[in-house]
Order: sequence, then structure tokens, then C-alpha cells
Amino acid sequence: MFRKLLHELRTMPKFVYLLVALTAFGLTVGVYRMYAGLGATTNLSKEFPWGIWISFDLATVALSGGAFTLAALVYVFQFEALHPAVRPTVLAGLLGYSSVLVILLFDLGRWDRFYNVFAHPNFSSALLEVSWCIAAYSTILFYELSPVLLEKSRWKWMLNVIKKYTIPIVIVGVTLSTMHQSSLGTMFVIMSPRLHPLWYSMLLPVFFLVSSFAAGISMIIAGATVSYWLFGRSLKRKTLATLSWFLPWILAFYLVLKFGELVIANETGGLLSSGRYSTLFWTELVVGAIIPIILFAYERVRYNRLASMLGAFLVMGGVILNRFDVTWFAMKSVSHQTYTPHWMEVAILVGVVSGLITVYTLVARYFPVYEETIAYKPSPREIIQPEDARLVSV
Amino acid sequence: MTHYITRRSFLKLSAAAAGTLAIGQLLPPMVAQAATDAGLLNAHGDGYIPSMCEMCVWRCGLIAKVKDGRVVKLDGNPDHPHSKGHLCVRGQSGVMNTYDPDRVLDPLIRVGQRGEGKFRIASWDEALDLTANKMLAIKDTYGPEAMVFSSTHNLSQPQFENILYAFGSPNYGTQRSLCFNAMIVANLMTYGMEEPERIYDDQLEYVILTGRNLMEAISTSETSALSDGIARGMKVVYLDPRFTKTAAKATEWLPIKPGTDLAFHLALLNVIVTEDLYNHSFVNDYTVGFEHLAQEIETYTPEWAAPITEISAETIRRIAREFAAAAPHALAHNGWRTSNFINSFHTQRAITILNTLVGNWNVALRASGGESSSALGAPPQPPYPRSSAQRLDGVPSRYPVVPLKLGVFQELRESILSGEPYQAHGWFISRQNPVMSLPDRARTLAAFEKMDFIATVDIIMNDTAWFSDVVLPEASYLERYDPLSPVGDRVFLRQPVIEPQGNAKSALWIYKQLGERLGLGDYFQYEDEEDYIRQQLAPLGVTLEEVRSKGYAELPPADDPGFEWNTPSGKIEIYSETLANVNFPAVPTWQAPPEPPQGQFYLLTGKVAQSTQFGTQNNQLLHKYSDEPRLWINNNIAAERNLADGDWVEVTSEVGQVHIHLQVTPAIRPDCVYLPPGYGHLSKGLTTAFGIGASDSVLHVTYSDPISGSQALSQTFVTVRKA
Amino acid sequence: MAEHSKSPRYGFLIDASLCIDCRSCMVACSVENKVSMDSTRIWIKETGITGNYPDLKRFTAPYHCMHCKDPSCVSACTVSALTRTDDGIVAYNKDICIGCRYCMYACPFEVPNYEWDERFPLVVKCDMCFSRLEEGQQPACAATCPTNAIRFGRYETMLAEAHRLITEHPDKYVQHVYGETENGGTATLYISPVPFEELGFPEAGTTSPAYSNRLVTEGTPMVAGAMLVGLSGTYLTIKHLKEEAAKERQEAEQTKASHTEEDGK
Ligand SMILES: Nc1nc2c(c(=O)[nH]1)N[C@H]1C(S)=C(S)[C@@H](COP(=O)(O)OP(=O)(O)OC[C@H]3O[C@@H](n4cnc5c(=O)[nH]c(N)nc54)[C@H](O)[C@@H]3O)O[C@H]1N2
Ligand SMILES: Nc1nc2c(c(=O)[nH]1)N[C@H]1C(S)=C(S)[C@@H](COP(=O)(O)OP(=O)(O)OC[C@H]3O[C@@H](n4cnc5c(=O)[nH]c(N)nc54)[C@H](O)[C@@H]3O)O[C@H]1N2
Ligand code: SF4
Ligand code: SF4
Ligand code: SF4
Ligand code: SF4
Ligand code: SF4
Ligand SMILES: [Mo]
Repeated sequence: MFRKLLHELRTMPKFVYLLVALTAFGLTVGVYRMYAGLGATTNLSKEFPWGIWISFDLATVALSGGAFTLAALVYVFQFEALHPAVRPTVLAGLLGYSSVLVILLFDLGRWDRFYNVFAHPNFSSALLEVSWCIAAYSTILFYELSPVLLEKSRWKWMLNVIKKYTIPIVIVGVTLSTMHQSSLGTMFVIMSPRLHPLWYSMLLPVFFLVSSFAAGISMIIAGATVSYWLFGRSLKRKTLATLSWFLPWILAFYLVLKFGELVIANETGGLLSSGRYSTLFWTELVVGAIIPIILFAYERVRYNRLASMLGAFLVMGGVILNRFDVTWFAMKSVSHQTYTPHWMEVAILVGVVSGLITVYTLVARYFPVYEETIAYKPSPREIIQPEDARLVSV
Repeated sequence: MTHYITRRSFLKLSAAAAGTLAIGQLLPPMVAQAATDAGLLNAHGDGYIPSMCEMCVWRCGLIAKVKDGRVVKLDGNPDHPHSKGHLCVRGQSGVMNTYDPDRVLDPLIRVGQRGEGKFRIASWDEALDLTANKMLAIKDTYGPEAMVFSSTHNLSQPQFENILYAFGSPNYGTQRSLCFNAMIVANLMTYGMEEPERIYDDQLEYVILTGRNLMEAISTSETSALSDGIARGMKVVYLDPRFTKTAAKATEWLPIKPGTDLAFHLALLNVIVTEDLYNHSFVNDYTVGFEHLAQEIETYTPEWAAPITEISAETIRRIAREFAAAAPHALAHNGWRTSNFINSFHTQRAITILNTLVGNWNVALRASGGESSSALGAPPQPPYPRSSAQRLDGVPSRYPVVPLKLGVFQELRESILSGEPYQAHGWFISRQNPVMSLPDRARTLAAFEKMDFIATVDIIMNDTAWFSDVVLPEASYLERYDPLSPVGDRVFLRQPVIEPQGNAKSALWIYKQLGERLGLGDYFQYEDEEDYIRQQLAPLGVTLEEVRSKGYAELPPADDPGFEWNTPSGKIEIYSETLANVNFPAVPTWQAPPEPPQGQFYLLTGKVAQSTQFGTQNNQLLHKYSDEPRLWINNNIAAERNLADGDWVEVTSEVGQVHIHLQVTPAIRPDCVYLPPGYGHLSKGLTTAFGIGASDSVLHVTYSDPISGSQALSQTFVTVRKA
Repeated sequence: MAEHSKSPRYGFLIDASLCIDCRSCMVACSVENKVSMDSTRIWIKETGITGNYPDLKRFTAPYHCMHCKDPSCVSACTVSALTRTDDGIVAYNKDICIGCRYCMYACPFEVPNYEWDERFPLVVKCDMCFSRLEEGQQPACAATCPTNAIRFGRYETMLAEAHRLITEHPDKYVQHVYGETENGGTATLYISPVPFEELGFPEAGTTSPAYSNRLVTEGTPMVAGAMLVGLSGTYLTIKHLKEEAAKERQEAEQTKASHTEEDGK
């Protein structure tokens, strides 16, 4: 037993130790944050009451959008070919949402009263919608993932029960995610005076939803490719190619919406003349949409792991930047205050993200996450030279 | 958005609650009982109690909200003519004056070196015995005149004066020569009264303010009145080298060259006389000496004044005409802290005469009885012993027209230093912070060093207490009674709204205890504070209880002096025989003030709204809403000298040097710098205020106006350079 | 939505021509409401010193919660900690607040403040001193202001007074009552000798951002319902189609098989 453990520890990839250390440090700072309050540990202010944590939350939720996109495609639209991607994606999604919940708890000034979200709901609040949906949806993700944990356990018999209700649960899950992905955008509908007009729109909920499809799919692609090199487990190239086929369409639709809205709202004047804001806006769209549209239009790219991973990273980068813009960089204050995060804010965030990756690594290592996927044992050489990998993949 | 200075570790109002409640409960709840009896508090001990503010000397009426034995809020008393329902920012912060965690709540006796800040807690008996014994020892060895007494304007001052005069010392230092001597002496010489009352009625059309920064150096009712006037279109001409908040509200701001207000006013007089704009019948009937004035001012034309004041001749002439045209609904305000230059007395006289020439008496100005009322009773007391000793401050020998009760404080200190005409050995101080308020702090501290014994009565460890041998803690103004305060046709009461915290005691109690130990019990013939006030009220036929619940009592209507003045001639003295007799110019005469040498600046001082003098900077509420004290410098000058906003600079005068951050602003004349007073404390017992800002008293050079004895606070010149 | 536009009962009339930046209102508010030492419910907006020496100007005005007719903060608050009372006071229930600080971003006037230095912080926001109103007193800030720059009374009276002042003194005031229509109208009204932007007041449209918010959030349950139905329908249809297809294929295969069989026979 002990020897086994020792062996496990020895064979554990080295980065896990670093991650564990970062997690431990981050959580220690987190405990201090709970003890000392927000003023002492963050650079939040009256003008910038939300900071990097909220930006992270929004980006993470968008990236975790893969789970519901895929669930919809696989279960509702019954694209059976994508089935193998479900488990890793749901796992990533669940971990993403869990980290959001943890960060939110750090972010709540009165974390001791989080339950008031249920006890005293205000139904016109977009944030209420977001919190309810996220709470419910995390439960559903857990439900969706439970087979992975159960298959090897004593409670295997529960699998049948779980499988029986999968479809209705998935449908509820997809609905909930659609709701909260869009509600995250709705949250900013009330901030017309604060948010720069290049971002502000009544259509923000739609922007957020559509971009979360793209981000989610990209996350699946990128995640699969990364785990392909890390663990030798991944999705079939065909599966990935099918997925990435959606991307140009979604992104094009997104672009049409974004620019269409600017035209209708008569805000196109600011596209080039808003200085820093213009740069941010264009970076977001060029990097996150225009280049990926071109890339993924090529079948060659869709079937190339490296290329599609790069494309996926671009989309994710664009969406992440978008969420940071909406919550932070494009947020104005009448008093012209600015915000840069306190090191403790960053430490807590890094801790939570490290924890998340650690858990993902461990679960992927010990549970049949990629059961329905191909197994591949990489050699160090292939890790260094990924393009060679394609030769051995199925 | 306003930038407030960095916050320090703060007391929470709610946290103070717990601490003080505990102390309060140890004492019999007498205040609560009495207030309940007076119908002010309900059975739970909650309610509203009328009293008076003492965050400054204006004494606005207040209504204290009391809850569970704590004062939780102060509001202006609508019945009091000084507040009319409002309290200024300092008045609002009064709760924090009382609950300041730095309050001294026990008598303290110094154990370390002077200025080291080491004290031990003592009982009242021990502290008072020690003080009395030291004072008596000094009296025995050097005579009573070797004890110096000083105190600033407050309601228990008559009892303070009882100690010093009964003790037999003539040496009395008050804040007055640092404040308004020039104005008071000028009024006495002209009207025979200290300060006529200003009437801000609906008809007042025109006001000239000579450095009276009413929007920052606040006197609630007068600030309100001026604001109301401006709101209804009254014209305000404001003379100040700085663009203050008053300047921002004035119709016209004239950035006059410091020290030249006299030239400006002489030129106004010139125009009014030469253009025949004055009120002939008023001048004929009620004044003396107009001809002397007419002769003296002949040459003081606007063209003459323009280069001196740096205000154009047209402007001066226009203002003179406008002022005369608005008369009698026109008021030239004397100012209050008129201690600016050694010529300030003449400036003040010129202003009083300007009012006189336009005949605004009983329209914009009227007689005022001051702060005492003959209708009130007083505890009986024997006459004071005669003191044959000369006063150390040179009154009246060197300052023949300065009243004894005003004195010349800075000269008193000089005599302590020189030991001439004799050496003082002890100093008893109450409600005053001479270490900070006298010019040239180093000299004040040197004078302290000459003392065998110093005792200070205060509520916090102010800088003076810090250098004292005994500190006697007075109860705060919300915790004590004071003698009654007559205002107009009413007399107002300061009464405790909460029990004194710790072992703090009222001044009435402290002075009586000390007086008895000094063998002067006959001068303190009252049982306690309430008895004192009952004796005051006796002739009015009202009970203390009535006054407690109402906050005031009516006074019998005073005689209207009409058009009589308490001067030797019984008229307004444009020409003053009194002045002539002691060889001072009998009509205002131009005297050029000194100017800064090349490359130096006038150092200006002046109040900020959020603090009173040197005693409120430790108030956490005021601190919270105050700007960082910085040295103002004109933006063009700063650019010329490569100085930037926020720079850390070294400011040097003939007598001292301070370091401070720079505030680059267009709001000041290029030849001036300004330093907000009241910062740069030496006492580490002021945990909120210590370490903030710098003291202008370190820089101020001691100059006294030879006539009124006013310290010339703008007559210090400094160099400024990047530190 | 009708209740949102209901006229407030009380209103402030703040006159920037009178404010002397003495901050008495700020201290009064802090004491009355035991505001934590690191926070405040009321600020001073200012133009700063403008112009060139010696032609200088400076204006200031106190600034606190506007008590919007259609308050965005109320619309946004995750829990029901912020509410608008019948009198038009936008009140805060400190016992419910979870500290999400959404109200701070949602408020178009950047009003709600936070007790950053507290371990268990609360939102800091003007409540019109309603406990004083209950006792028949004016709000602490209005009561103490030595220059009457803050006036308080019936909303209609304040509005009428604002209009009277600006019409009677066109040379003195900008011809606009800030707060009359801003963000749907507010119980706090301002008049000023300088344009409001110069005082640092936010520009605002005539409808409250809360209106846009409601448009979206109130539609959400319907969209959710529609989605549930739509997704289920899609699932069932596709499933049905697939089963049909499978059956057909099976049948086809069967026929094919039988044919072969037959053929084989
Ligand atoms: N907030 C607050 N209010 C107070 C007080 C306080 O400490 N704080 N103190 C009270 C007391 S005791 C007093 S005496 C009064 C004093 O009130 P004021 O008489 O208004 O006196 P200061 O504020 O000392 O100075 C007023 C102005 O004089 C200007 N000045 C300096 N030199 C000259 C000059 O040569 N000519 C002219 N024309 N102006 C000059 C300064 O720039 C300053 O702005 O305020 C009372 N009110
Ligand atoms: N540089 C500079 N010097 C000046 C001035 C200036 O503007 N600049 N102004 C001048 C003017 S106008 C004046 S009036 C003088 C004022 O000069 P001072 O009278 O010496 O100064 P204050 O700060 O008023 O001193 C009041 C003291 O009383 C204490 N105190 C407060 N409440 C109580 C109480 O209830 N009981 C007792 N016993 N003590 C209490 C305070 O803590 C403080 O120490 O300063 C003058 N000097
Ligand atoms: S002017 Fe202000 S500090 Fe002075 S007595 Fe009145 S309220 Fe108090
Ligand atoms: S109390 Fe009145 S004058 Fe003073 S800052 Fe507040 S609003 Fe302005
Ligand atoms: S001003 Fe802001 S905080 Fe006040 S009611 Fe309006 S939205 Fe709410
Ligand atoms: S911080 Fe409190 S009051 Fe503000 S939105 Fe969140 S729960 Fe509501
Ligand atoms: S109404 Fe009351 S709570 Fe609101 S700013 Fe004024 S004093 Fe503060
Ligand atoms: Mo003074």
C-alpha cells in the first residue's frame, strides 16, 4: 500500500507538486482574506467594486461552456460521434464551475450569508439568475459526471438509475446553462453608464451566450489536445474535427451580431477613435474571431491537432479578453479611478486555478475519464515534437 | 472628488460605545437622573438635551441626542441665535471630541523629563495639592507675580480670573493678542465698545470683507447670514491674498497685497470724502474729528493706493462709490483675526471709520453688550488684593491703550525669556495651547524651560500639556456645566448631557478646589456647578430646572443705547484724543509694512473649516473629512522654480524651518505661500494628529503692533526649496 | 412597473451655488448613521479651481444617494436587501445583504459605498435618514448645512422651488434641474451655476438602466420555459427520426435478408 503510494507520488508529473504548492499558498491567503476582510487583501474600491476575481469567473464560465454545448450536441441533437468528448468536458466544466463557486465565496463580502441567495431572492436581478443557475447547473454537472466516479466503485448499481434520467436532466442542464451564460451578459445590461459603448449592448446576453458556445468548443479541442500530450489520452481527430467545424459558423454569427448591433446603435464611430478601447475591442475580435474563422475554414486545420489547438487557444483568448474587458478594462468610472489587483487577489486566484488543474490531473489519472477515448502512451520525444504525434494517432 | 488624507487606525463610534458605557455605569447616573427630572429623557434614559457647542468660541446652541447614557448625535438648536438649527462641521464632530480615545481622563503628574511624555496617573487630591503647593511655594519665594496665568476665551474664565487676581498676579496671557487685539482696540478707540454687532438683515446690500474668511473660519450664524445674503443678491467684496472658499462665493475677489489693506481702506475714505459721498448729518451729529481725517487722507488717492495694494485705482474708486451708494445698507467687516501686520490697528480704525462715514450705525452695526449681562447674579466674593507688580507683557507701560484683559501674550513670553523686569517661575494654563498658538515655537518652549512648574487644564494631551508638570483633565463640554452665556435677550445654559468619563471634572469644580487649596475659598462661594448657576439665575426668578429643559432663560430687555457711545466724547471718535494723548496717530495714517526680500514669500496663515485652532486635529471625524495640510504656492511661481504639486519642500524663516508637501494652486498670490495652521503637533499623546503636517508657529517671527499689541502673523517671510 | 415611477414623497433640493465645501453634512451623516470611519455615505463633488489667476472659480456640491424613482440598485440587488419604500426612499436592509457589490456597479450615479475595512462589511448608502424622518426631523445633512445648500421637504415643493429659482435667476443658474429626469427621475434634485458635467455629475438618459434590466430579466423565465419545451421537442423528434431511420434500415435489411433468403430458397 505504502509502496504503491510512494510509487504514485514518484511517477506523478512534477508540475503537480508545483500546483499543490501554489494551491496551498493561495488557500492560505484565502483564509487570511476571510479573516481580514476585503479592504486589507484586495485593491477593490468604491469605483471598482469588482476585480480580477469576477473577470476570472466570467471567463471560466464561458470556457466551461463546452459542457453544455457538447451535452446539447450529443444528447439533444444526438451527434453520437461526439460522445467520447463528453466525460473530459463535463469534468473540466464541473471543475471550472467549482472554482467559480470557490472564488465567488472569497468575493462575497458577506460569505457567511451566501444562503440568502435562496432565502431572499430578488427575481429582477441578473446576478440572482446567474447564482441560481450556476448552483443548479453545478449539481447537474456533478450528476452527469457521477458515472465516471461510480463505475469503479461499490455503488455501481446506481448507474442504471442515473442513466435512466440522463436525458431530462441534460435538457434541464442545457437550459440552465443557456440561461446563466446569457444572464452573465444580462448583468451588464444595467451598467450602461459604466461600460464603454463598444461593449455595452442590450444584446449582451446573446453575445455572451454565443461566445460561450465558441469558447466551450475551443476548450474541448484545446483540452483534448493538451491531455493528448500530457496523458496520452484524447479524443479522436475526427471527433475534434467535427467539433471545430462548428466554430467558424458560430464566430461568424457572433461577428455579425456584434457589428450589427454597433451599426444599429450608431456606435461605429468609436470603433477606431476610442484609443485604448479600440485596441482592446479589435484585439478581441481579430484574435478571437476573425483569425480563427479563417483557420477553421480549412479542413487541414480542423484535422491537425496542433493547428486546431492554436486556433482554439485564439478563440479562448478572445473570449477571455472579452470577459476581462466587460468586467474591468472597458469599465469607466466618473472619478477616473483605476484598478490593479492586489497580490493577494492574484495569489488566491492562482491557488484556486492550481487546485483546479491538480484535481483535473488526478481525476484524469485515476478515473475512467477518457474511457471511451483512445489510449496512447507518449514518449518524451513526442511530447517535445507534437507534430509527430499525428503519425501514431488513430 | 475631494481627496482626503490617509486614514490612520480609527476608533469606531460603536466601539467607543462599549468602553465608555462601562465607565459611565460605575458612577451614579446623576446626569441622567437630573435630565429625566427635567423631562428631557424618557424612562430608558433616551432623549434630547439642549446645551451649547464649544468646538470653538462661537458657542452655538445644540441639542444632544442621548441614548443609553451616550451622546449619539448633536444638532443645532433652532432657539439659539448662533446656530439657528445648524452646526458647523466642527460642531457636528463634537461627539468625537468627547469620545476621543486620546482623552485625558485622570489627573497626570509628570515623571520623565519635560517633553518626554512620561506621566503617572494621580488622584485629584494629589494633583491639586501638588499644584497648590508649587504655586504657594513660588508665591512665597518670588511673590505672586512670578506665577503666570493664561487661558483662552471660555465660559468659566471669570472663575479662572478669580484664581489669578485673588492669588495676586497681574500676569495674564490670553489668545486675544494673537487673534483680534487690533480689531478690539480699534473699536474701543472709535466706538467705546469691543465689538459692535453686525446686522445681516434683508436689506443689507454691500459687504466688504477684509480677510474675514467666513466660509472657512466659520461662525455658524454669521456664515449662514452671509450665505443667505449672497443668495439673495447682496454684493460681497473680499480682500485676501488667497482665493479662499469665501472668495469663491464673493461677488468680487481682490487678491490684495498682504499688509496693504490699510492703503485700500484709506483710499476708500479718500474717495468718499473727496467725492462727498459721506453721510453729512450722521458725521455732524454723532462723530468727532472728521476734519482731521479729511486732512490726513487727502493724499491717499486710489492712484496712490493702486501700486501699493496692487488693486487698480478704478476698482478702488468704483468700490468706494458702490459702497457709499448702498449706504446705510453697507457694511465694512472688521475681520476677526486681525493680527496680520504691525499696521493692523490702523487698518481696523480705517474700517470702523469707513462704516461711520456712511452712517450705517443701527442699520448694519449696532451696540453690543458683549458676553456679559448685568441682569445675572454671581456668587459673592471679596475684592481682589492690589497687585503692585508690573505686568510682564508691558501693558499698560508699553501698550497704554491695550486693555488689561486683552494683554499682549507674545510679549509676556518675551519677558519670561529675558527675565525682565523680573523672572516668572510658574505657569498655570487652562484651555489654551500656547506652544502652538504663540509665534516662534522654539521660543515658547525655551520659556517653558525657565519654569519651575507648569500646570495645564485640558481635555486631551495637547502640546502644552505634553510639556507640563501636571495635567488636570477637564470634563468635555458635553459632560459639564459652565457659567451661563448671555446672547442678546436670552441667557443660555451649557449643561452635561452625559456623565463625565473617567475622573474628568468641570472647570468650575477644578478652580474651586484649587482656589480653596490656595487659601482663596472666599472667591469660590458656590457648592457645586448647579449652585453657581442658581446664583446666576437668582435675579431672573427662573429655576435651574426650567432652564435645563428649555436650554435658556429670557433676560429683561437691555436699554438701547441708541446713538450714544462709551467714548470720552460720547460720540464716535474719528479722531481719538486717547490715542493722541499717548502719541499715537489719532486718525488712521499710512504705515508701510515690511516686504519680503527678493526670492522670499509672505507666509500666510488662516483657518480651515474642519479644524479649530490647534485643538481639534486629533478629532477622528474631522480628520477623516480634512484635506492633507500642504504648503500652497502659486502655480506660475512653482513652474518658474521647477516645483511640482506634492513635492516635499523645506520652508525656512528667520526663526525656524519645517518640511511639508507642496500644493501647487492658482489660488494664491505669487508673492505668498500659505500653510494651514494647527498641524505639526509635538505631543505624541495625540495619536490621530501626531506626525501630520507642519506647524507654522515654528516659522512665525514675533512682531507686535505697537498700538494694539497684535502679533503680526502675516509678517513672516520664508524661502521655499525642494527638500 | 407602475410602482417604480411613483413620485417620491420627499425630496432634496441641492444648490451648488450655495455649498461652501465645509463638510458639515458629511460629518453629520457619519455621526447620525454611525458610518464606519473608513467609509462615507456622502461626498462633495467639485469643479476644482478653474480659470487663471486672478479670474478663478470654484463650485462644490454634496452628493449622496439620489433616491431614484426607478432605482437600478434595487433592480440589481441579488437578494432583496435594497428596496424602494412607499415614500420613495431607497432603503438598505443590512441583515440580508450578501456583499456581492452588484449594486455598486449597477447604480448609474456610483453611489453605494462599501465598508472595505470591515471583516464583515456592509454597503454604505444614504437612507434619507428615515429614522430621523420618523421622529419629525430633517435628514442630518440637510438639517445642519449652514448655508442651506441642502434643502429637504416634499418632493413637489422641492421641484417647484428648483424651477422657480432657475427661472427667476437665469443669469445665475444653468437652466436644468438635474435629477428631474435623469435615469428616470430622482428624489434628489440639483441646481447649479455651472454645467453639471463640470461638477463631475454623470450624464444620464431619461430612463433608468433598471428598465433595460427588467426587459431582459423579466423575459427570462419565459425563455427558459420555451427552451425546455424546445429542447425536449428536439430530442424527441430527433430520437423519433433516428428510430424511424433505424427501423427503416432494419426493415430494409430484413426485406433485403428475406429477399436474399427468398433468393436463396
Ligand atoms: N473652522 C474654523 N473656524 C473658526 C476658527 C477655527 O479655528 N476654525 N477660529 C475662530 C477664531 S478664534 C477666529 S479669530 C476666527 C478667525 O477668522 P478670520 O478672521 O477669517 O481669520 P483667518 O482664517 O485666520 O484668516 C483669514 C484670512 O486672512 C488672510 N490674510 C492673511 N494676511 C492678510 C492680509 O494682510 N490682508 C488680508 N486682506 N488678508 C490676509 C488669510 O489668507 C486668510 O484667508 O475664526 C473663527 N472660526
Ligand atoms: N500660526 C497661527 N497661530 C495662531 C492662529 C493662526 O491662525 N495661525 N490663530 C490665532 C487665533 S485667532 C487664536 S484665537 C489663537 C488660539 O490659540 P489657543 O487658544 O492657544 O489655541 P486653541 O487651539 O484654541 O487652544 C484650545 C485648547 O483647549 C483645549 N480644549 C478643548 N476643549 C476643552 C475643554 O472643554 N476644556 C479645556 N480645559 N480645554 C479644552 C484644546 O484641546 C486646546 O488645547 O491662536 C492664534 N495663533
Ligand atoms: S461655530 Fe461651529 S464649532 Fe463654533 S460653536 Fe458653532 S457649531 Fe460649534
Ligand atoms: S454642509 Fe452644506 S455647505 Fe457644507 S459642504 Fe455640506 S452642502 Fe456644502
Ligand atoms: S442613486 Fe444609485 S443607489 Fe441611489 S437609488 Fe439610485 S441607483 Fe440606487
Ligand atoms: S452588495 Fe448587498 S445590497 Fe448590494 S447588491 Fe449585493 S446583496 Fe444587494
Ligand atoms: S439623508 Fe441622512 S443618510 Fe442620506 S446623506 Fe444625508 S445624512 Fe446621510
Ligand atoms: Mo481667534
